[in-house]
Amino acid sequence: MPRLSLALGGLQQWMQAVIAHPGGTHEALASSEAASLVAPERLGDVVLPSATLDPTERVGIYHDMYELRMGESLETDYPGLHHYLGPKRWKRLVSGYLQAHPSTSYTLNVFGLHLAEYVHTAPRVSHAGFCRDLARLEWAITEAFDAAETPILTETDLTAVPPGAWEAARLVPTAAFRLLALDYNASSYLDSMKDDEHDHPPPRRRPSWVAVCRRDYAVYRLELTRPAFRLLEGLAAGRPVGDAVEHCLRRSRPHPTGDQIFAWFREWAQSGVFQAVEV
Amino acid sequence: MNRFGIDDLGVGIGLRPVHFGPILSGSPEIDWFEVLSENYLDTGGRPLYMLDQVVERYPVALHGVSLSVGSTDPLDREYIRKLKALASRTRAGWVSDHLCWTGVLGRNTHDLLPLPYDEATLRHVISRVREVQDALERPLVLENASTYLAFASSTMTEWEFLARLAVEADCGLLLDVNNVYVSAFNHGYSAEEYIDAIPADRVVQYHLAGHTNKGTHIVDTHSGPALDAVWDLYARATARTGLVSTLFEWDADIPPLAEVVTEARRAHQHRRAAAATGTHGA
Repeated sequence: MPRLSLALGGLQQWMQAVIAHPGGTHEALASSEAASLVAPERLGDVVLPSATLDPTERVGIYHDMYELRMGESLETDYPGLHHYLGPKRWKRLVSGYLQAHPSTSYTLNVFGLHLAEYVHTAPRVSHAGFCRDLARLEWAITEAFDAAETPILTETDLTAVPPGAWEAARLVPTAAFRLLALDYNASSYLDSMKDDEHDHPPPRRRPSWVAVCRRDYAVYRLELTRPAFRLLEGLAAGRPVGDAVEHCLRRSRPHPTGDQIFAWFREWAQSGVFQAVEV
Repeated sequence: MNRFGIDDLGVGIGLRPVHFGPILSGSPEIDWFEVLSENYLDTGGRPLYMLDQVVERYPVALHGVSLSVGSTDPLDREYIRKLKALASRTRAGWVSDHLCWTGVLGRNTHDLLPLPYDEATLRHVISRVREVQDALERPLVLENASTYLAFASSTMTEWEFLARLAVEADCGLLLDVNNVYVSAFNHGYSAEEYIDAIPADRVVQYHLAGHTNKGTHIVDTHSGPALDAVWDLYARATARTGLVSTLFEWDADIPPLAEVVTEARRAHQHRRAAAATGTHGA
């Protein structure tokens, strides 16, 4: 049998095809993508045995580490989803996600970008809507953590605005600010993870609204009422303050009181939701 | 002194987020920090803020895992541009990565994958190293990765490949002594022969670490203290190169900062011996 000769590119395509294939190493070596470059029975022409391992076992070291490493990276960004699914279901999710959305970046920071949409349609995931919301919330937290640092609106900034100018003023959110409308109790689930002794709430369909923001490099979650969400949504979209408040009042029953709205603004300003006020 | 005139920074450790607090509040007795480049390229949050604080107090060097210098995919210009900017921001003493490839066809396995050691691969990597150095406008320093398989098509040893690469591409070397030990075990060659064949004037940095022996092979886990055999290899290497910046890596089951510092400072006795004998420069 002639010696198998692969150029560097072919060798790398073959090895990647084996490493990234789900299942066991034998299965990966026999996959169509890998076998089209190196027939499994010719493996010995490509990889040498060691004194203690045959070529399949040596390739298997890289193959086995792949899912483990990528799963650990996802777990860093999605501790809540990992916790909810448990090790077995999490492993299955990671394996499927790797096939659907393999990393194409130099950084693992963005590897988890599509997990929320993936988990919603992934096979054999129960409470997929809850899982999607949990993933959306955890990704928002990750994004807030890594967002560019922007100034925080100060008391001085606020007092500098003439009272008559507030109606037309626009509030500019910080780069870290994220706003989510959720269908499930994902935020409550994350709350329950702060304490191992805590009972974790079962998935429940319950609309909730959350703002994620960062101040002094610490990320916070703010639970919002529906009217508060509407107001913040309008402000974040660039509506003038007067217009956003009016829109909120028009769509909310009962109307939030002036004191309530004032308290919201105070909390948002203190939590680092806004970076500037444009008059 | 290495041929690039890069200073010996002494003994350092890897900068890990879990140690940010103790580093900034306690000013540990450590000479420098190695920074994992990818962790700071795309963040404007706490990690970058902490890094800026560390840079104010300690010298740093950048160490990456995503250059993929051995891949047949095009070099990622955006990555290199960001790397250069980070090196400037941190006033990094040098920029290092690994002799490996991490992916092909636009994908990234985020693993340090082995290369066949043959003439065609050598020419390919030399050309890429030169491209990277031109873009970075500074020497690239390449580390020998731990490997778990060997290709039948290799026509030279890893140390021959590394030595020729360093000279012909005119790049620096980060000699990971633990990786030499790990690969020597996994492939059944002599770690001493490897160490002795490395061109001493190219070595800009050393790595030391612990590993995990699985019986049939050793995995480079960066967990725990280094074995005495690894320290012996380090002593052998420093006797040839003289005083070179040395870093202790601890990435799994990371203990409190003081424990990592204590382990790293074991390097000092070997450095003193190397300085005293003055036999380096081979």
